Order: sequence, then structure tokens, then C-alpha cells
Amino acid sequence: MAPIISISGLRVAYGNHEVLKGIDLAIAPGSFVALLGASGCGKTTLLRTLAGFTPASGGSIRVEGRDALTLPPERRGMAMVFQSYALWSHMTVAQNIGYGLKLRGMPRDKIGQRVAAQLAMLGLTGYEQRSVAELSGGQRQRVALGRALAVEPKILLLDEPLSNLDARIRVQMRHEIRSIQKKLGLTAILVTHDREEAMVMADLVVVLDQGRIAQMGTPEAVFQRPASPFVAAFMGAENIIDCEAKRNGAGIDLRIPAIPASQLHCPMSSSEDVASASVAADADGPVQVHFRSEAAFLREAGASVAATLQFPGRISQVSYLGSGYRCEVNTDCGAFFVDHPTRFAPDDGVTVCIPGNALHVFRRDLSRQAAPAKAFQ
Amino acid sequence: MQKRSSYPLALLLLSPALLMVGLLFIYPLGYSLSYAFRNEKSATWDLSNFEKAFSLYGNDIVYTLVILVMATTLTGLFALAIGGYLTLGENKRAVSFLRWLYRWPLFIPMVVAGQLMRTFLAKNGMLNNALMSLGILDPINAMSMLDWRGVVITFVWKQLPFAALLISGAMASMDRSMIEAARNLGASRLRALVEIVIPQIKATLLVALILSFVTMLSALSVPMMIIAGSPTMITVDMAWRVNSYGDYGVANALGFISCAMSGVVAWFYLRHSVREQTATR
Repeated sequence: MAPIISISGLRVAYGNHEVLKGIDLAIAPGSFVALLGASGCGKTTLLRTLAGFTPASGGSIRVEGRDALTLPPERRGMAMVFQSYALWSHMTVAQNIGYGLKLRGMPRDKIGQRVAAQLAMLGLTGYEQRSVAELSGGQRQRVALGRALAVEPKILLLDEPLSNLDARIRVQMRHEIRSIQKKLGLTAILVTHDREEAMVMADLVVVLDQGRIAQMGTPEAVFQRPASPFVAAFMGAENIIDCEAKRNGAGIDLRIPAIPASQLHCPMSSSEDVASASVAADADGPVQVHFRSEAAFLREAGASVAATLQFPGRISQVSYLGSGYRCEVNTDCGAFFVDHPTRFAPDDGVTVCIPGNALHVFRRDLSRQAAPAKAFQ
Repeated sequence: MQKRSSYPLALLLLSPALLMVGLLFIYPLGYSLSYAFRNEKSATWDLSNFEKAFSLYGNDIVYTLVILVMATTLTGLFALAIGGYLTLGENKRAVSFLRWLYRWPLFIPMVVAGQLMRTFLAKNGMLNNALMSLGILDPINAMSMLDWRGVVITFVWKQLPFAALLISGAMASMDRSMIEAARNLGASRLRALVEIVIPQIKATLLVALILSFVTMLSALSVPMMIIAGSPTMITVDMAWRVNSYGDYGVANALGFISCAMSGVVAWFYLRHSVREQTATR
């Protein structure tokens, strides 16, 4: 299927500071794309350039085959939901939602019908004549969404639309927005810094780092097979062990130099196989191994579990997460966070076990400052 | 308890300021307003000063009101145009140039503005000379604009930077995404200005217009320098009653009428701000 949006070599600069450094991205019609990244990575700039609010300094954006960069924002056929909602306080809820239709010269009675349909879809029937100042955060968010959807856009742009909502409403709105997008068959582009939000809502996750695409793929692919240490850390694999790796047939042997007894042979199969470790193509010799707190587990000191990378440690801190306990463990190869269903006491001796398929192995970045090893004996 | 004990101290600290306001502002104002009703000949309180003021200067009162309404309206329109371009303009150089240029008249005193416009708008002034040298105007058709038009032009020229400063400041402090949301839905820049930006800064616009109206209402130098003879603005009449006749009664009555005019616009402002406050509650 031909992409609805094709971005090629897109560059954006604010003065001498280049924010986007050559973005190439093709978005299929009807898909939900999440632009994910830390503050300052360029994700909002990319969305604003798509909308026409920020000029590009190079490259191209084509929407349904037509050059969009030369068009003003009002002629790009995209509707945007803003982080601050950007509702107009001098208008009622109905006037806010119907404004885009008024601009299109739609007769007043038809606007009324369309607004009523939007309000019904968003669960706001009866709120037509309310001032937007009287609404709660969640209701305002719905009005902002209704205003964007009322003009029946082909492309919906969402600029961190849930970041101002409280946690409970945010979880609910994720599913509502996703189901509306599916129902209407829209192409949606979401900007977020919340990886869970991106994974729950999107078909395609695009991770941005310093103005470049660090990785794009399905939520599963980005989560299970991060392409770089940055993506691995951003997707939650923030525990890092420095290891020595040696290719061995269809697998890789890992050894922790600081703990000679800790060794593991990881089988490697196709890159989509989630049962094997994710190993970068150039990982051989000095490597850095990432793992998630929730992917590892703890055993009593001296215990041994097959098919895991294991090493001894001592608990230094414990905090309660609700679903279990997050333990900080000091080891000879650094300090790590490991989630465990039951409580360990500080100073308890433990064995840290990381299943082979939970490891993400990358060639070691020698400029990285390794976490200091904390003696635990 | 602590609140009550600190009350006399607060009053003591405030008293010099209150005394100054009372002595230098409230007392003279009250005195002048009340003496508008004082008939010095019969030593009684009546409306004779007002009767005299309306019979002698009725036309000037209407003339003043028309000039002020026109000048205030034009100031508002031009200030919105300047603020709108500064906020929505896409040519960065033009925006920077306008931002640098529009404030200059702010630093020129009213009397200098009057003198400047005298030389600019006279029959053989700079404006007509420029138009004639460009071939736009025949020398025979050249005419002086040193009448109500000159006063309106001077007032607008002088007050515009002040109003534009307030209005463009209010526009700049708006949540930018409100404008972007309108543009994104299909509004042109002009529609976004008229339908989104102006309603959002309505309160500041009203303040700018009221303050401009009151400033222009109190200007003596401009009508005195630009308008020769009658009709003229009531500030000139007030000065004339005091300086030539020592007639404080009629001057006070004209002052009372000025206060009433600014009172009407202040009432509009108060009514609007009360409504806004009720709406936000």
C-alpha cells in the first residue's frame, strides 16, 4: 500500500542549531505511529513541521504524493490535538467543536448535527452550551479531540495529548483514542515520551534520539530487539553489565570479567525470535549487556538456576511497587535494580539471575562511564 | 489575634501615602467637582454653571466627543493591526522592523506632537508638499488639515504606540497553540486574528481604549496648537474660562462633563470585568 505520508531527508534548524538531522519515514494509511523520545530529541518539532507550524530547512514531506512543505497549515488536511488542548475560552463546547466546520462554510443545522454526533461519540452529550472553562481536564481533552475529528481529517496529529491528565484518566483515554482511530480508519501520529503509552496505542513506534531515528518497528520489535544501547535503555533495559563475548557456533558465550565464575552460552536464532538473546551483529569481544529490572529475578545466596547469567550480590535498598518489590543489589560488576515478588531485607545475600533471552548485547561503548562496582562481601 | 494587632501598624505605614492621595488628588477633585454647582453671584448651589457651559460650549462638547470617539476607534483598529501583524506575521524582517518602529511616538511629548503635526498638516506643510511633488495633488487643491482632522491624526499618532504596546503584549502572552489550532483547522491569518486572537485579548483592548480615551480627553496642547478658533475641544474652553475670565464655575462645570464622559467609559470597563470575573468563577 502506498504511504499516505512520505518524509525524506527532513531537516529542521532553529538558527544554527539543527534539531532534525535527516528523517526518513513512510507512514501507511490507517496506521497509528508513535514518535517516542526524551525531551529535546525533536519529536514535537517533527510533528509541528508536518502540521506546517515549523519550516523545514531541507528534505521533503509528501502527503498522498503531493508536496506538503509549500502548503500553509490550513491547507495540509491534518487536524492536531495540542498538549495544552488549546480550547478557546470565549466559545462554548459546541462552538469549539464546530469551528472547523464553520470555516468550511457548512450550513448551521449541519454543523449542529455533526457536533451532536461528536459529543455523543465522546460521551459529552448535554455539554453543548457549557463554557470550556467549566470542564474537567479529561472533558477538555475530549473536546479538543472532538474539534480535531469534526472536520473528518485523514491525518490526526496528537502532541502529547494525555500528559496533562491524571494517571487513571490517561489509561482510559489511551484506549478511547485508539478505538476511535480504528473505527474512523484515520492515520494518527502521536508524540509522547511515555514508552508504555506508545506501545499501547501504536502500530509503529519510532524512537528518536538527537534529531535522528534511532529505531522504528512494531512495539514488540522495539521492546524485544532494541537496535542500540540508547533504545534498549529508553525502552527500560537500564541495567548494564560489562562482559566479554565470544561467538560460538550459532550462539555467543558471555563472561563477566569481574566475576570469572559467571558465564553463559546464549543461543542465537532469527532476529524475531524472542526466546533467544538479542545480540547486535557487531557484538564480539568487549560488550555491554542490558537487562530490565522485571526480566531478572533473585534467589537465595549460593543458589544456581540453569540458562541464566548469574552472580552474587547483596541487597542495599528495597522499595514497594505494588506488584512486587524493587531491590537495589550491589555486586562486583555494579549496582542493579531487580524486581522480585517477595520482600528481601537490606543486607541479605542473594544470587541475581538473568535469563538468556532477557539479555540485550551490544558492542561496548568505550566512552560510556561504567557503573562503579560496589563491594558487597 | 496577630492580624488585629498588626492593623494599626499597617495603617500607620500607609498613612503618608493616604495623606498625599487625599491632599493632592481627592480634595482638589472633590472641591472642583462640587464647585461646578456653586453660583458665586447668588452664593447658592444650583445648575447655572452647567446651563452656561451648555449654552456657550454645547457644540464644543459634541465636537470633543466626536473627535474622541473617532480617534479612539482608529487607535484601536490600527493597534489591532500592528499587534496582529507582530503576532501572526510570517516575514521575520518585517515583524522586527515594525516592532522597532511603532514605539517611537511613545517618547514624544504631546506638545511636541502637536507642533510636529502643525508643520506636517498645514496648507504648505510637508504632507501637501510631498503629495504635490509626487504629482498626486494639484497645488490649487491643497488644503490645510489643521482642524478636527489634524487633532484626530495627532491623537492617533501619539496614542497608537501605547495601545499597540498593550495589545501586542497581550497577544504575545496568549497560548500560541490557540492560534495554531485555528490555523490548523483552516482559518486564514485574518480570521484567526478576528475570531480567536481579538476575543481572547478583549479585556486588554478595552483597557487600552479607555486609557487612550481619557488621555486624549485631557489633552490641552494638541487642540490648542492645531485648531485655530471655534469649534474646539472643551479643554481649550476650560483654559479660556479660567485664564481670560477667571470663571472657575463654568470651567469646573466643563471639567465635571469631562469626568462624566470618562465615567461612562469606565462604567463599560467595570461592567465587563465584573462579567469576566463572574464567568471565571
